[in-house]
Amino acid sequence: MAAQGIEQTGAQPTPPGAGYPTGGKAESTSTFSWTPYVFLAPYLVLFTIFVLVPAIFGLWMSLHNWDYLMPKQPWVGLQNYINLFTPGSPTAAFFWQSMKATGIFTLFSVPLLVIIPLLVALILNQSFRGRNFFRAMYFAPYVLGVAVVGILWRYLLQPGFGLIDYYLGTDVAWTTAMPWAWIALVGMTVWWTLGFNAIIYLAGLQDIDPVLYDAAKVDGATRWQRFLNVTLPGLRPVLLFIITVTILASANMFGQAYLITQGGPNNETRTAIMYIAQEGLQNFRMGSAAAMSYILALFLVVISILNFKFLSQKEED
Amino acid sequence: MAGATAKPEERNTGDLAKRILSYAVLILLTLMFVAPLLWMLSTSLKPNTATTALPLSWIPKPFSNEGFSTILGSNSQSPALRWFLNSMVAGLANMALILVTASMAAYALARMEFRGKRVLFAAIISTLFIPPIILLMPNYQIVDQFGWLNTLLAVIVPGAAGAFGVFFLRQFFLSLPRELEEAAMLDGANRYQIFFRIILPLSRAPLATLAVLSFLTNWNDFLWPVFVLFTPGSLTLPPGLSILQGAYTTNYAVIMAGGVIASIPVLIVFILAQRYIIQGVARSGLKG
Amino acid sequence: MCRGRPVGHGLTRREFLLAGVGAGAGLLGLGGCGAARDQAAVAQAAASGGARYTGPPVKLGFWNGFTGGDGQVMGQLVSQFNKEHQNIKVAMVTMIWVDFYQKFPGAVAAGQGPDVAVMHIDQLALNAARGVIVPLGDVVRSLGLQKSDFAPVIWEGGIYKGKRYGIPLDTHPLGLYYNKAVMEKGGLDPDKPPQTRDEYMGAVEELKGKGIKGSWVPTSLYTGWMMFQSLLWQFGGELYNKDVTRATVNSDAGVDALTWMVDLVKNGYSPSNVAQDADVIALQNGQNAFDWNGIWMINTFGAVPDLQWGVAPLPQIGTEKGAWANSHNFVIPNQPNPDPNKLQAAKVFINWISQHSLEWAKGGQVPARNSVRESSGFKKLQWQPEFAKELPYVHFGPSAPGVSEIGQNILFTAVNSAVLGIKGPKSALDTAVEQANQLLQQNRQKYGG
Repeated sequence: MAAQGIEQTGAQPTPPGAGYPTGGKAESTSTFSWTPYVFLAPYLVLFTIFVLVPAIFGLWMSLHNWDYLMPKQPWVGLQNYINLFTPGSPTAAFFWQSMKATGIFTLFSVPLLVIIPLLVALILNQSFRGRNFFRAMYFAPYVLGVAVVGILWRYLLQPGFGLIDYYLGTDVAWTTAMPWAWIALVGMTVWWTLGFNAIIYLAGLQDIDPVLYDAAKVDGATRWQRFLNVTLPGLRPVLLFIITVTILASANMFGQAYLITQGGPNNETRTAIMYIAQEGLQNFRMGSAAAMSYILALFLVVISILNFKFLSQKEED
Repeated sequence: MAGATAKPEERNTGDLAKRILSYAVLILLTLMFVAPLLWMLSTSLKPNTATTALPLSWIPKPFSNEGFSTILGSNSQSPALRWFLNSMVAGLANMALILVTASMAAYALARMEFRGKRVLFAAIISTLFIPPIILLMPNYQIVDQFGWLNTLLAVIVPGAAGAFGVFFLRQFFLSLPRELEEAAMLDGANRYQIFFRIILPLSRAPLATLAVLSFLTNWNDFLWPVFVLFTPGSLTLPPGLSILQGAYTTNYAVIMAGGVIASIPVLIVFILAQRYIIQGVARSGLKG
Repeated sequence: MCRGRPVGHGLTRREFLLAGVGAGAGLLGLGGCGAARDQAAVAQAAASGGARYTGPPVKLGFWNGFTGGDGQVMGQLVSQFNKEHQNIKVAMVTMIWVDFYQKFPGAVAAGQGPDVAVMHIDQLALNAARGVIVPLGDVVRSLGLQKSDFAPVIWEGGIYKGKRYGIPLDTHPLGLYYNKAVMEKGGLDPDKPPQTRDEYMGAVEELKGKGIKGSWVPTSLYTGWMMFQSLLWQFGGELYNKDVTRATVNSDAGVDALTWMVDLVKNGYSPSNVAQDADVIALQNGQNAFDWNGIWMINTFGAVPDLQWGVAPLPQIGTEKGAWANSHNFVIPNQPNPDPNKLQAAKVFINWISQHSLEWAKGGQVPARNSVRESSGFKKLQWQPEFAKELPYVHFGPSAPGVSEIGQNILFTAVNSAVLGIKGPKSALDTAVEQANQLLQQNRQKYGG
């Protein structure tokens, strides 16, 4: 799942490679002006209250047993974090099970969402009639949110009378049995967000200078060789973006499991986000949930950095 | 870059076969993408007993408004129209808030000098890497302190704090030629005038794109509204659909009717603003 | 209570009603209304402690988790209440129970909660400890409710730290549903469902001989967790020790109970990995003979055409009789700005529904109120009285905050992992107890011992 669900809790994914500002021409440096601060203020107020403060406040919460309806939030230091790594603690088993679920989902959805949209974009990249129409059709599911897509697919995946079983001629419990539940979740996520990645690939493909292809053809390169030596290298920044964004989106999967499998069967599809939300808002242990969220965040940051390094390094070869 | 073709076409029969194959694949794909949506529409117009009966039929026979009337009726449990209105109000308000705050901040970051500019920009950009989940619990607490829980403010205001809009517009403002502003400054215009009279009018396309993307993101937001909105009358459509599914588990006509109501506005926006959305998404993947 | 008729002695209706508050026997003495049926009605008013609402018109928000069939029954009761009460309008809001327990506390704390709600008895302690609901001592007194009005175990279950937080509406125990046609196929007497261990094992063995898996074991919370608890109590075990500092499911009783469940699968009386509700569907389709399920299923099974079924008290597999049950209780949320009018109206509402709980029982419940349960109307119901037979030995969990979560998440996960064959019963329960004890300790620190 790509950058859909840009969470409105304050932070959104970014294309890596975003450069720093090339400094603007300095205005009269001797006079101080309120103007920049006036322009910045409205956004900064929002940013401070709903991004900066929570980022730090969350850490603070994670050091307490935090239940906002109780009169006191007792300090526990790093206990919430330690519990996550102590086998036999009430949260460790469930947390790592949910991390495993997130890992499985990411592992299976990302390759599909990196490769298939590329193929679709390659087909779309030829000039022909109706290209924009097809492009819009593949993108259409993406504009529907996870709620619509989730309730729709829950119905489609019902054994017996759901469209999937009907046309496949099977009678599989797609939402309540393994491994079908994972296949169903990954499959519908690919359906839902394929268009998003395809669009980005398409833009990247169109950015590649046609001259490079001509030169390759002159050199006698085959289609496959042209793909390997012109297309793929030309797509590198886009690939980096797609892989990173898709990994992040898959690791944040919540809505599909919440609506279609409810984390079942037996919590096997309960993703990390689901469990964190459950621990904080259903079990009323916000401190523990906050700690889990920081552990998950750590994983994601490390993966993003590794991803960036890996793909940038290849460029130097 | 829009419309650039990667390679020139060659005319021969092998190429024709390839084109037919391509079209076939594309049409097949289109069916796979569109068919479920058509099924959702069809189901919403069937009587509920027909939604689980075999054999399945694509055309509702008979047509029934059972699904829609259940959720559009005055039943207080699933007031879909109310949810629709809430989503509309929240989406438009959030969009407006983002456009105003992000454009001003982006302009300051693109064109003005001030102390701490580098640090501030770095801080804003770095939050794009923050997994949103770490903000869930603390923001819940903060929103509760403001008394916004179970009100639309909870789904309008915090969502405008994201860095995407600032980043996106700053990229655009940087690409505008400085001569226009310099000329205006020579004429004695101040920053405010330049911003409102010159910059904004030139920025219609990215502003439209940001507007559309923000609206869509807010309209579809799920995780946050599910936890901060409680009573049926305060929900937006996504948590509403979840409640609908919980209350009408096997009444698929009703559930699909809810899905149709939630889809129509975004599909309309998509059809009308397709270009902006797709360009906006495409641009975000490119460096420039 | 002389509706629409002028009262003797020149009192207005309002004054008459006001005079009735707490006046008990004095009302009978007035005799202004004369007719015998009115005397009965007056006596009823006296028994209710004169819960009458005489204030300005109010709207009451009423939240519960009655999605599905029972929601319709409650909805009708609420409509009827609204019709009979000029100045009180109750607006009912339902959501699935999981959502309810998550949102109710936050809504109440934010001042956006309802004025009266229903919750399960095993959630009272947690909500009381978090200050979400208020003690009901005054409510109970002014309604004139007493211990003798209710089944003892249900009445006792609503107390936390010495205060009462819930007024019970019903109890919904587990029972043994049986498919008569399948029993016949197995050579069993369809009118004699097994009630002892020997009878039960004999029955499933007969069925197995005819190729029928007769006792499907569920692998989800509903109803695997309830089935296990029933067995645990039947074997003489308990979930926790007396002061709820330790979990005791891994006692011999617990291991025996879980082993019996696991053996049903091992010995071929149940398929493995029965999906959610598959046991119910199998009974409906003639593939399963016995299903341990709740009273709430009677209308579901009843609606299946041509299904010959019945339900009986749970068979006694262990050394004593035991059955899992839960109970819906009325609660009053802790409003930031309490409105005395709304509180009074809520009392009237609670009392009225309680008195009309026969209608509620028809939706698949056993009324908590003795007078309703012992009425001829209830005894005439077809299946509910079977569940009422279990009242002497139904168990609720202890009244302690957070035990519901521990049970459903930690203990049940262990039970399920044994049923699914992933772990052995003893080792699964031992692990669970270790985890549960830590959480119990955390809870004690958080909520006070």
